[in-house]
Amino acid sequence: MTMPVRILVVDDEQHIRNSLATWFREEGYDVSVAASGKDALAAVAREGTNILLVDIKMPGMDGLELQRRVRELAPDATIIIMTAYASVETAVEALKEGAYDYIVKPFDPEAVSRLVRKAAERYSLLAENRALRERIVGASPALITSGSPAMAKVMELVDQVAPTDTNVLITGESGTGKELVAHLVHAKSTRRFGPFVVENCGALAEGVLESELFGHERGAFTGAVGRHRGKIEMANEGTLFLDEIGDVPPKVQVDLLRVLQEHELKRVGGNEAIKVDFRLVTATHRDLEAEVAAGRFRDDFYFRINVFQIPLPPLRERAGDVPALAKHFLQQFANQMNRRISGFSPDAMAALVAYPWPGNVRELANAIERAVVLCRGDRIEANHFPFAGPPASANLSLAAVEEAHIRQILAACSHNVAQAARELDIDRVTLYNKMKKYGIERP
Amino acid sequence: MKTRLLALGDVPPRLAEAVLAGLPRPYTGGEVGRLEIALGRCYDRTRAQVDAACLIEQIPEPGPGWLLLGLTGVDLFMPALTYVFGISHLGGRRGIVSWFRLHPEETGPSAQTILIRRITTEVVHELGHSLGLVHCVVPECAMHRSLWPEGVDLKHPEYCPACLETLTSSL
Repeated sequence: MTMPVRILVVDDEQHIRNSLATWFREEGYDVSVAASGKDALAAVAREGTNILLVDIKMPGMDGLELQRRVRELAPDATIIIMTAYASVETAVEALKEGAYDYIVKPFDPEAVSRLVRKAAERYSLLAENRALRERIVGASPALITSGSPAMAKVMELVDQVAPTDTNVLITGESGTGKELVAHLVHAKSTRRFGPFVVENCGALAEGVLESELFGHERGAFTGAVGRHRGKIEMANEGTLFLDEIGDVPPKVQVDLLRVLQEHELKRVGGNEAIKVDFRLVTATHRDLEAEVAAGRFRDDFYFRINVFQIPLPPLRERAGDVPALAKHFLQQFANQMNRRISGFSPDAMAALVAYPWPGNVRELANAIERAVVLCRGDRIEANHFPFAGPPASANLSLAAVEEAHIRQILAACSHNVAQAARELDIDRVTLYNKMKKYGIERP
Repeated sequence: MKTRLLALGDVPPRLAEAVLAGLPRPYTGGEVGRLEIALGRCYDRTRAQVDAACLIEQIPEPGPGWLLLGLTGVDLFMPALTYVFGISHLGGRRGIVSWFRLHPEETGPSAQTILIRRITTEVVHELGHSLGLVHCVVPECAMHRSLWPEGVDLKHPEYCPACLETLTSSL
């Protein structure tokens, strides 16, 4: 059930406050009133108001000042200015400062109802948009973490760079969730209400990639039967995410560099310069510095896209997150396949934690999906995994084997250190010291 | 739930009776009465209208099992709004409806039929508010908000199943 839209009527005249409150309560809105700017700010802070109807002329803090203060407190709140004929000019000033609209007293019932309905619809759309984004982030398995320092660092970098317009390069092995992080950068940016446009540059031939990115005019090449807008144009006022940027051919690198410098492009086969305003986020699993050194990637383009880099750790470097991720995928696939599976056996969980996951989160998801298919009981066993058998420790150092074994036992004991210490036949202090040494944190 | 329709000022006797007779479920029976009020106290000379919020305060608290609804022919306003067809205390079992702006453009016998239907629809609307109902998105439901007289004609003088369910379950 959706929450009712919360309206706050701010007017120093009691009869205006009360009559508007009565009117909007009948509409089903959740209405509060405030007699002054000070009371209004307290109400916004307390109730999380969605729409404010603000009288522009009030003793003390006037409507304009209140609007500025509310903007700081609740940037998403919609403000409608109420004014008398004499103060329309001030209302226009309020509009310039971001008010949604203004309305002249006394209001035509139809006009005020329509205006508030539109504002409520706008609020609902914004809330829906936000909820969808939160759902995307919430459903982003690569970002699920049990508090591993490596992922905490990633999230910190995302939070730092998202509000800026800086180009971002996301690096990491395949399957580490680069696109999800790109989406997160977009979702936390000021462009979040604009489009998020994705192009996988690794999958396309040079000519096709050019046409995909820059668009083309009718007749630009055989088969170009109509005008086509490219991904860059589609990303206007939003974010363009170019995956596998390391696979972009040199000619397209030059063209992209020009767009980044001049903020305009020409479609393939066209002469018209089209203005574009977008934020570029790129990703690669390649070592671009090595590619530049080898002459396979242009250094000027590299410097342009690598203003801020977010390196994503492979799953083996955040093995502490594996249990949480595994439980997430188990729930997801069990639901999809309508299976009642309660969890993992200690052996199965230990095997998951010990496995090095060269294919990262994507491989983990595939492994759990396969296990759910194979499972006939109410819990996943170690033999449901394709890597079942002795752990792949043949080439690991003694320390790595010790770390993997400690992680395995801890996972099997649900991270109960005392119990794990007993299993390992060492005392608790020794186990704590070894956990500290290997950077193992309890979830 | 019984309804007492109160004539506020000059109200044609048959009009109130016709409205009462047209009330749908769950309003089972009622009566027409009269209430002497001080209209002048709520009259705004500048606007040449009567303040509905002031007027409703002159309607007394209804007794148990009763709803009180004032009927008037004066032009009502609320301080922030240019006009209203009616007003009620949400969930307070009191309301007012004015037919001042509900007159049809037509004349003749059909005009009276249209007017009574409009008043009945708005009375059902305000009674709904007085029992706690808010506006409904169903265009034909009496609880749909109407802002002009022709809009009232699009509604039926009764509740949609959802509003009726809400109402009957709260009684």
